Amino acid sequence: MPRITVDGVELEASAGRTVLQALDDAGLLMNGIEIPHYCWHPKLSIDGSCRLCQVEIEGFPKLQIACNTPVKDGMVIHTRTERVKRAREGVMELLLIHHPLDCPICDKAGECKLQDYAFDHGLKHARTVEPRRARKKRVDLGPTIVFDQERCILCRRCVRFCREVPKTGELGVFDRGERSVLETFPGLRLENDYSMNVADICPVGALTTKDFRFKIRVWFLDDVPGVCTGCANGCNVFLGTASNKVYRYLPRRNDAVNETWICDAGRLSYKEIGAADRLRESAVRGEGGRLEPASAQDAIARAAARIRRLVDSKGPGVVAGLASAHATNEDLAVFKRLLEALGTESAGLVTLRGAADALLVKEEKAANATGARALGFGDPRPLLERIRGGGIDALLVMGHDVLDPSLLGGTEALARLDTVVLMDTHHSDLERVAHVVLPARHAAEKLGTLTNFAGRVQRVRPAVEPAWEALAEAEILWRLGVALGLAGFEGRFDARAVSKELGQRWPAFAGIDWESVGDDGRLLATLVAGGSPAAGTR
Amino acid sequence: MGLKVPYVTSYLSEHFADDEFGALQGYERRGGYQAAKKALREMTPEQVIELVKTSGLQGRGGAGFPTGMKWSFMPKDTPKPKYLVCNADESEPGSFKDRILLERGPHQLLEGILIGAWATGASRTFVYVRGEYAQPAAELQRAVDEAYAKGYLGRNVMRSGFQHDVLVVRGAGAYICGEETGLLESLEGKKGQPRKKPPFPAEYGAFGMPTTVNNVETFCHVPHIVSKGADWFRSFGTEKSPGSTIFGVSGHVVRPGLYELPLGTRLDEIVFEHAGGVPDGRKIKGVIPGGMSMPILPAGQLDVPMANEFLRERKTMLGTGGVMVMDETTCMVRVGCVIGWFFRDESCGQCTQCREGTGWIHKIMQRIERGAGTREDLDLLLDIASKMEGQTICAFADAAAWPVQGLLRHFREDFETHVRERKCPFPASFEL
Repeated sequence: MPRITVDGVELEASAGRTVLQALDDAGLLMNGIEIPHYCWHPKLSIDGSCRLCQVEIEGFPKLQIACNTPVKDGMVIHTRTERVKRAREGVMELLLIHHPLDCPICDKAGECKLQDYAFDHGLKHARTVEPRRARKKRVDLGPTIVFDQERCILCRRCVRFCREVPKTGELGVFDRGERSVLETFPGLRLENDYSMNVADICPVGALTTKDFRFKIRVWFLDDVPGVCTGCANGCNVFLGTASNKVYRYLPRRNDAVNETWICDAGRLSYKEIGAADRLRESAVRGEGGRLEPASAQDAIARAAARIRRLVDSKGPGVVAGLASAHATNEDLAVFKRLLEALGTESAGLVTLRGAADALLVKEEKAANATGARALGFGDPRPLLERIRGGGIDALLVMGHDVLDPSLLGGTEALARLDTVVLMDTHHSDLERVAHVVLPARHAAEKLGTLTNFAGRVQRVRPAVEPAWEALAEAEILWRLGVALGLAGFEGRFDARAVSKELGQRWPAFAGIDWESVGDDGRLLATLVAGGSPAAGTR
Repeated sequence: MGLKVPYVTSYLSEHFADDEFGALQGYERRGGYQAAKKALREMTPEQVIELVKTSGLQGRGGAGFPTGMKWSFMPKDTPKPKYLVCNADESEPGSFKDRILLERGPHQLLEGILIGAWATGASRTFVYVRGEYAQPAAELQRAVDEAYAKGYLGRNVMRSGFQHDVLVVRGAGAYICGEETGLLESLEGKKGQPRKKPPFPAEYGAFGMPTTVNNVETFCHVPHIVSKGADWFRSFGTEKSPGSTIFGVSGHVVRPGLYELPLGTRLDEIVFEHAGGVPDGRKIKGVIPGGMSMPILPAGQLDVPMANEFLRERKTMLGTGGVMVMDETTCMVRVGCVIGWFFRDESCGQCTQCREGTGWIHKIMQRIERGAGTREDLDLLLDIASKMEGQTICAFADAAAWPVQGLLRHFREDFETHVRERKCPFPASFEL
């Protein structure tokens, strides 16, 4: 293992790594050791063309680019010498001779590396008197991305991204010299399942997403760490929030999960949080057979009364639970406890499947199917058979995925039930047959953990607060347990306490709770075999 | 048809006036391919490399890297095929020696390539010919065909068991494709953009295979070194820069043309004695000694031997030996404009400093030439040049920066006059 010294800091590097890579591996890059860079990106091939990362290395007469210089044992590197300073100043000045100086109207301002580095490393005034190069503005590159040619600094990260990650290669730099310009290849549009990542890796305001651009100035956003719930991969994200609203997901780097990427569908799934069809009101079915608004507390009491009546008359076996793979481990753990306390074993897990790809997108279209299986929820088909056969009278159901054609295909089978208690985030047909409807919280609105396909338990926290009365399923079920007077359901609901119990009650979760998994997640102690038959196929 | 351009003969160009020399039979009649036979039959590859090292042959493509050493960088134990590339892109303005070597002595080049291939274990040579060189490429292709027919190329070269193929490839006229890794990219069918190093071509070259790139003239010296020995070769030139080279003399001289002379020949001797000096009794003003990217020398500094060890003392280099002569009517700001435009146009555009610096330099040069420059612009030019020099993937930015430094070092007065008089004091000799 070569040892290198950077600005007096000694570190061990892996053989074959370059200086920037070694610093990145050690977590020191831009986190103690500042080496500005544009073209280099930890997850893309090395380009070596922006020349901003030049450093002084003892024994080399010329400055060397840190991104492409392999480490050697004993290498001594200086990043803050006068020569380095002057080189950075040169690069910054030359990058800025044509770049528009209109940060106030640029959407990247506030998270722009050109802006940041110009402040940190650039000259304070322009020495050009010539007019700036006029180029095309607002080029429509594809369905998701708008391109401003004048702002582009030709780092070619986006070009390499398209070639190397989705391997679609739509982008190239055409012509040469100062006439160089980024374009899509003739006849192509920037159109792939990961296209919006180019806006994240664009260090300047050249590539922006149609979805986010000009919605809000980024300095108004808080970046709350969370997890995308679009599929079982559990890509790590920052939820960009302001005024209790989620404006975007940005991929959050986690080399064990999504590196620095996210698929376009997942990125846009933030829209579910503030969607118009969010379920906003608790309701109970009244005398006339119509759903009538109620408080959550009243709705839970009504649900408890109906269940108590059935259990007392027919025994607990007629009560069943349909769990959702969208729910958190905590939601599901409480669900499991409730069903056990009631004394019923009728339970199943609903998770839908769809197309997968070789990169990030997984077949299971929910964030926590693996966690649900680890908590003992399995194949829903026996339960669905019993429902169809009339063996079930009361159903506690999370979400409405069960209506998918691969499972029930409609509400008909549920219409015969005596009691349907629905916990859901969005409106659906299921309300038509529900007796009690309770708005649930989205993963962006609650504290809990999700277990991705590989068994990595990752945490979410409330990034926004619903403007209506919505409870996490765990809390709904907890309160229901309290209302039913079940053993083990005493006192107020405490999300963290519930999370703490995960590891205590479930061997697969040994040593795991919301606190301990941190923002990078932790693998389950034991993994329940995935790909269970618990799911329908779409 | 004979050769029309003036020339002075030494061993490379000795037979260039002779039309038969271009054909295989004529070449062999004058001793051709004996060196290749000697190398393949009597010498090990190591001996050939050692001989070339001892001869002190330096690359003639501009950088002057020792050829034997370059050959020795080729990996010995590799399962990959090894390649040679002959750089015939000759794109440096002021340089036109490789053209004559291709047109008049293609077999001399092929023989040099064969020996180089034997020494490095290369199975194939790509000759990358400048796009504009239609006739040189055709002459070379004809010679390649002849060599195949004769069994000097192909599966069993000269019945030695050694296999070697030569492919002639045409470029499309970009200056940057003369840079060895820009050339490799272009050769592979990609946009001509130099590669970052490491990896170096000896490790990862053409199509990812270990590759050595040599200039046309460099190869052409090799058969002579093998036939006549390192001592003979060292009898030409200087101690540190042995051998002859072909100087291409152009500009304000009586006899522009190609002159094969020993390295170390004084620049004033080349300009005044061989090329006949400046016509019409005008005075000489400056000379670019080695192609446009090399810093200019003023009239008073022409008493320099044309070899890098001497030229470096005057802050310039031999480059490709393209000697460009300018007389007293030349406006050095205009020269700066022409050079500035060239590099602005030809930069590949990868590296920030080169892409943006070349354009800015050109604009400032134009501004000064128009009479709109300031005194600060002169220092700004030097500042930009210093921010480009030595900081990019390839030497193009150096090549764009050095001439600016040279012009301001020796002809600052021209620039100051423009600024002071707010116009160009020279009669307009050409359009900008």
